[in-house]
Amino acid sequence: MLKAVYYTNQFFAGIGGEDKADIGLFSLDEAKGPAVGLDGLWKGDMKVVRTIYCGDNYVNVDARFDEIKDSLLEKVKEADADVFVAGPAFNAGRYGVACAKVSALVKEKLGLPVVTAMWHENPAVSLYQDQVTILSSTETAAGMRASLPALAAFAMKLAKGEKIGSAAQEGYFPTGRRYNEYVEKIGGVRVVDMLLDKLNDRPYKTEIPLRESASVTPASPIANLKEATIALITTGGLVPKGNPDSLKQAFSVAHGKYALDDSVALDSAHFESIHGGYDTTCASAEPNRLIPYDALHEALEEGQIKSIFPYFLTTCGIGTNVKSSRLIGQAMIKDLQEGQVSGAILTTT
Amino acid sequence: MKMNKVLERHYFDIRDAKFGNTTKLADGVLTISKDELREKVKRLLKHVASIDFELVKPGENTRIIHLLDTLTPMIKRSGDGQVYPGHFSDPVMVGSGETNVLKGFSVMESCALPWEESSASSGLLYPRDAIMEMTGPIAKMTPFYETINLVITYQLHEGKSSHEYDEEIRAIGIKVALSLAELTLDQKPDRSETYSIDEVNPDLPNVVLVWQCQNQGVYANTLLYGVPIDEIVPTILHPNEMLDGAVVSDNLAWPLHKVPTYTHVDHPIVRELYRRHGKDLNFRGVIFCRSHNPTNWHKSRCANMVVKLAQYLAADGLIMAWEGGGNAAIDGMLTIQCAEQHGIKSATITFEFGGDDGTEGVLLVDDVPEANAIVSGGSIEKVIQLDAVERAVGGDTLRLDKEKGGYFPPATSAISFDQSIHLYMAANQAGHSTQAGVDY
Repeated sequence: MLKAVYYTNQFFAGIGGEDKADIGLFSLDEAKGPAVGLDGLWKGDMKVVRTIYCGDNYVNVDARFDEIKDSLLEKVKEADADVFVAGPAFNAGRYGVACAKVSALVKEKLGLPVVTAMWHENPAVSLYQDQVTILSSTETAAGMRASLPALAAFAMKLAKGEKIGSAAQEGYFPTGRRYNEYVEKIGGVRVVDMLLDKLNDRPYKTEIPLRESASVTPASPIANLKEATIALITTGGLVPKGNPDSLKQAFSVAHGKYALDDSVALDSAHFESIHGGYDTTCASAEPNRLIPYDALHEALEEGQIKSIFPYFLTTCGIGTNVKSSRLIGQAMIKDLQEGQVSGAILTTT
Repeated sequence: MKMNKVLERHYFDIRDAKFGNTTKLADGVLTISKDELREKVKRLLKHVASIDFELVKPGENTRIIHLLDTLTPMIKRSGDGQVYPGHFSDPVMVGSGETNVLKGFSVMESCALPWEESSASSGLLYPRDAIMEMTGPIAKMTPFYETINLVITYQLHEGKSSHEYDEEIRAIGIKVALSLAELTLDQKPDRSETYSIDEVNPDLPNVVLVWQCQNQGVYANTLLYGVPIDEIVPTILHPNEMLDGAVVSDNLAWPLHKVPTYTHVDHPIVRELYRRHGKDLNFRGVIFCRSHNPTNWHKSRCANMVVKLAQYLAADGLIMAWEGGGNAAIDGMLTIQCAEQHGIKSATITFEFGGDDGTEGVLLVDDVPEANAIVSGGSIEKVIQLDAVERAVGGDTLRLDKEKGGYFPPATSAISFDQSIHLYMAANQAGHSTQAGVDY
């Protein structure tokens, strides 16, 4: 028989309401509260061997939660269970956070599969849906009977180690992870379906959520350009001929740093663009159009700037995802800071 | 005069194909004489030294490599013009009369086009190796795991330009497709279907498809009535013109985005709009334009012209679909924004990013708040593991990583890719595949 550990709060454990929300951590070696319902649904295939409960205020205050973490983990570990189940928390905000927070801890520290459930507007959903599996429940505890079967069935799947389907198939809130699948209908049919739903004011769900992109605050202007060291950067893919560092022509993960001073012949005999997204013929013929050393050098001779950073930085900006772009940018900044660069000209293509 | 454009398509199901001494079609079995086909195209060979043929059938444990265009064999039985107009015929308006079409069968071109500077000097305009498989995890990325495929393999003379190779390879492919379809001219089809959008039901919403195709130079072009669309202003196509092959693909640079000629002809969105015409919607036509417009100014101009044409067609809704990656996505999103701002509702289909587990950054290259109805073609950033195959068609070694000096693994061996660049049609932006990015 499979074993489950169940987590709940002071209220559902039958201790009391708001006045008991400050109680600490307790455990019982039996099913208590909603766990009794889960046991019934599992019909002997799995059993709650331990119910752990804690006051919501306790878990929600980080300092106090820190105090009970070790003891909580010890209680879960002792039970030697196959799955950890918390809630349902319905639309109770602090209970939702407690269920999700405790589940996340158990998952992270013990590697045990975890599941909880709550109403979609419970604030814990957006806080924790990327960390733990949260099933959708009814809004209030009046729907306990309706909400428990899905929780019981999903917990059973986890305990048995069965393959977990997509968020839509299983009824949990998306974790942010997305995988490719061959679905039932081809894209051409789905896009016509979606347009017709939109035209006929029927509900539909876009398949690709628009994620917020972070905004970048521009640096403040250079106070005294005459004292400035200026660097040249390009995402146009200029590299020494032969691409000695094997930079990628698309989906970049790194940047190159190459010497740039009067001893360097910035010409087509020594440099080329490897960029995979535009016709590089002209850029390879005249590398100064990607790295405008000629123009910057004039500025230097005229005394407009103090010096030119003696390297140029380069990568290919095409198909590069945000994570890689950020890492490349951070690595470039390190180079610039080490060179005490005050400003940079970044050309893109 | 009111438009009366009716196309009757006669379908000939190809149940099997084999090589033989005489090319013939009998009881759905196509016998192909290599020598007879070589004779048909002999006059065309200037930069191509020789050609050969291979047959690949559904269920075979086979990988096809160096894949260029794929065509559907068809021919006009009656009506103006010839299929693939502008190639072996004058650019006469097609889309009416009768056309014979081979079903369950394709003609493919496979060639290791040179990487030498004289031919493909640019990091963009060189043919990246394109791969498809008949079985296994990537099979369903193309429609051709279900068709019998006649693969033409090309041996080239050295030292010619990319333009010369490109023109000739395409001409040979089209000629072979036309020649095979000729066999049907005195035969009875398995079934026929009539295509017309002349009848409009005033109670149903008017819908158009905006089909925006890649055009960046030789090896990355799209041809309309035989001519690349560099200077095109958005124009209206009758869907029957697409059915008769008015749009031919010349995109060899990015296999994952490739929409082969076969799919311009049998366009999944056109097919679905036709199927629902008169039932759920009025299919009012295709607005055809170029993606990869060079500047934001050009993109905005194109988007506005598209929407103006949609207004002329009294469109209530439009489907925005494009061939190509980030650059093309910006054109598409601007068009969606412009359409919605003018009261035309829109839906679109595109590939997504997100990294191997889907959590990385934003999912699209570009988006606008109005793009609230997006179908996923699947992510192109998934690690894909291909098993070794029994047979490879098109060559003995793959050609990868040109910018790093080249990597040439055996064509049949197991191989892993970090993303879908080399997988034929993987971006699924014509909606041909069931692949989708799914929330977990």
